[in-house]
Amino acid sequence: MEVNGQLALTVLMGVFLITVAAWLARIEDWRSYTPLAGGGAVGGTKEQYVSEEKPSGLIRWLTTVDHKDIGMLYGVYSLIAFAVGGLMVVAMRIELADPSMTLLSNTFYNSLLTSHGITMLFLFGTPIIAAFSNYFIPLLIGADDMAFPRINAIAFWLLPPGALLIWAGFFPIPDIIPAQTAWTMYTPLSAGVGSGNQMNAGVDLMLLGLHLTGVSATMGAINFIATIFTERNEKVTWANLDIFSWTILTQSGLILFAFPLLGSAILMLLLDRNFGTAFFSVDGGAILWQHLFWFFGHPEVYILVLPPMGIVSLVLPRFAGRRLFGFKFVVYSTLAIGVLSFGVWAHHMFATGIDPRLRASFMAVSLAIAIPSAVKTFNWITTMWNGNIRLTTPMLFCIGFVSNFIIGGVTGVFLASIPIDLILHDTYYVVGHFHYIVMGAIAFAGFAGLYYWFPIYTGRMYQTTLGKWHFWLSMIGTNLTFFVMVLLGYGGMPRRYATYLPQFATMHQLATVGALILLVGQMIFVWNFVQSWLEGPKVEDGDPWDLGEDNLTTAEWTWFERKLQTAVTDGGEEEEAELATDGGETVTDADDE
Amino acid sequence: MDEAPGLSDQYRTASPWPVFVALGIPISELGLLFGLFPLAVGGLLLFCGSIAGMLKESGYVESTIRSLVVLSAILFAFGGALAFTEINLVTRGYATIAAAALLLVGGVAFELFVWDNKQAI
Ligand code: HEM
Ligand SMILES: [Cu+2]
Repeated sequence: MEVNGQLALTVLMGVFLITVAAWLARIEDWRSYTPLAGGGAVGGTKEQYVSEEKPSGLIRWLTTVDHKDIGMLYGVYSLIAFAVGGLMVVAMRIELADPSMTLLSNTFYNSLLTSHGITMLFLFGTPIIAAFSNYFIPLLIGADDMAFPRINAIAFWLLPPGALLIWAGFFPIPDIIPAQTAWTMYTPLSAGVGSGNQMNAGVDLMLLGLHLTGVSATMGAINFIATIFTERNEKVTWANLDIFSWTILTQSGLILFAFPLLGSAILMLLLDRNFGTAFFSVDGGAILWQHLFWFFGHPEVYILVLPPMGIVSLVLPRFAGRRLFGFKFVVYSTLAIGVLSFGVWAHHMFATGIDPRLRASFMAVSLAIAIPSAVKTFNWITTMWNGNIRLTTPMLFCIGFVSNFIIGGVTGVFLASIPIDLILHDTYYVVGHFHYIVMGAIAFAGFAGLYYWFPIYTGRMYQTTLGKWHFWLSMIGTNLTFFVMVLLGYGGMPRRYATYLPQFATMHQLATVGALILLVGQMIFVWNFVQSWLEGPKVEDGDPWDLGEDNLTTAEWTWFERKLQTAVTDGGEEEEAELATDGGETVTDADDE
Repeated sequence: MDEAPGLSDQYRTASPWPVFVALGIPISELGLLFGLFPLAVGGLLLFCGSIAGMLKESGYVESTIRSLVVLSAILFAFGGALAFTEINLVTRGYATIAAAALLLVGGVAFELFVWDNKQAI
């Protein structure tokens, strides 16, 4: 039996490798007679490093190293993950509609809880940001592509196997059950100690998957840092670098310090689980995990929120008819948040009994980080003040972002205060707090970006009425669901339970209603998105938002306009003249965004 | 972008290697973690082979064989450490060494037969 299994595996692996080799040989052959553009010289010209003409269909997507294609892949991937994570939580919320265990078993609830968190943070949140940054950073800074196009492709392709491993416990594989460790993977539970079932290989698979997504994020970060430093067009200086690129640069720096640490901690945990090491089982091991995890975990929340802030800082002024108020201070606050975010991690550990003097210092820094966040908020509000506001769908999502971010941020400041945290820690208040940010702000900014740039990446326009329905259902659903959670937390409802005392029933039912409203909103979004992509009216104007009228055009729209015109005239000659008469700016100006 | 707006939809860029580098990592990790010999060997071969192919394709190295030798040396060292030191993970060590050996053999074969062929045409 043992030997048979090994044999089968060997044969399978062999066949797989041979198939790969044969396929590669064909591709390489085909490349050898594709004439090389740029003269066909065999040697070190820059053009030569990739073929100029590409196959169609599936092969194109499997082999692409074009930053725009990779951006699309990230986008599709993250939206699928969003749907998976969303459906998981719908099942959980329906279970929570009544106090006892009805629809799901408690263990299955715990599995869904774990996967929901990890899916949303690592398979939706980080990749949806990468979708925007891959597509638009090179356009915004006038680069030909990313600094390392192939590394870029590797970073993306690590994600699908990562997702399969993270979800592996749910697949019908014998003897494998889903992890039930929650996204924080606290030891000793996650080390498989005790009488529970967390010694199961499903947990190892999830850890491996998480490790892969970490490697992917790190590769992407290195690539963005190199790209923004070295590939900028000479017209793009540090002084007029756009705000989105600034946030991506800061985010990449955070990733570079945070994710490798998570990777190491995960490897240590895997060693503990499989090879008998004792990193986390000796005295103090449990607190060691918490320190390692949160040293990663808190920066991770800013890794997730900084680029969405960048999207809002970029999009919101376009529909307020004016430039971003205090551009420089928005950049400074981004950098300040980046630095400070490494000094607050123990605010997740106030209740663990760590040294009170340490606790106090972490409280101080946590309160301090609210200041740069508030600077940004005031700048967004001031930008809109007396502005010529156009309530388009992307703008609505930006305003929703600001509103939800305020509630999420203020609840965060309360949590940062030790005496309050000792009461609210591990209650639904915390769940309410961070969902105001992750759903109410991060996802909202993602939608703002998806709608705002829809004409660029699809060449078509979405249906505006459906877009507004999507916004309002999302806004109402988010605030109903998560405000009720804040109240539940005040009432003392602990988080992460599948069952609860009957006194909480009404609140929980309201939260479930909110989640269902959100579900309807997202179904409208999917319909609008897919249907408009396939059949929406073609965009013929390179400036569909009329940004030129307010002199607010940015480089990616200029690029889009040129692209439309070359498609029509099939010649580059008149472009410059046409652009000038259009009133739009040809170059991105200083302090523009 | 600036020189050729609109051209970008004609897929200027493609490479077959990244997918396989990305597949090689999880396969070899699974093999090494759970001690599944064939997965470990195959995954490492896929990973290292694709790295070598990519280095060649991008012009970072002149010859495939040299990067394969370096990669196989790294695997030999790592496998040796696993199998023959007090870490004592014998199966995993041998799997890594097997991958190293296959990589070397494959590299030599490729150098002798395939590459010459291509040059001749
Ligand atoms: C104004 C700045 C913020 C402050 C002062 C703050 C403070 C806190 C504190 C003290 C906790 C721990 C609560 C507890 O477990 O007892 C917490 C939890 C959390 N915060 Fe924030 N927060 C802020 C902003 C953010 C942002 C921007 C995000 C997301 C992008 C975020 C995401 C989270 C998450 C995910 C948790 C829960 C972690 C867990 O236990 O599973 N927070 N926050
Ligand atoms: Cu935190």
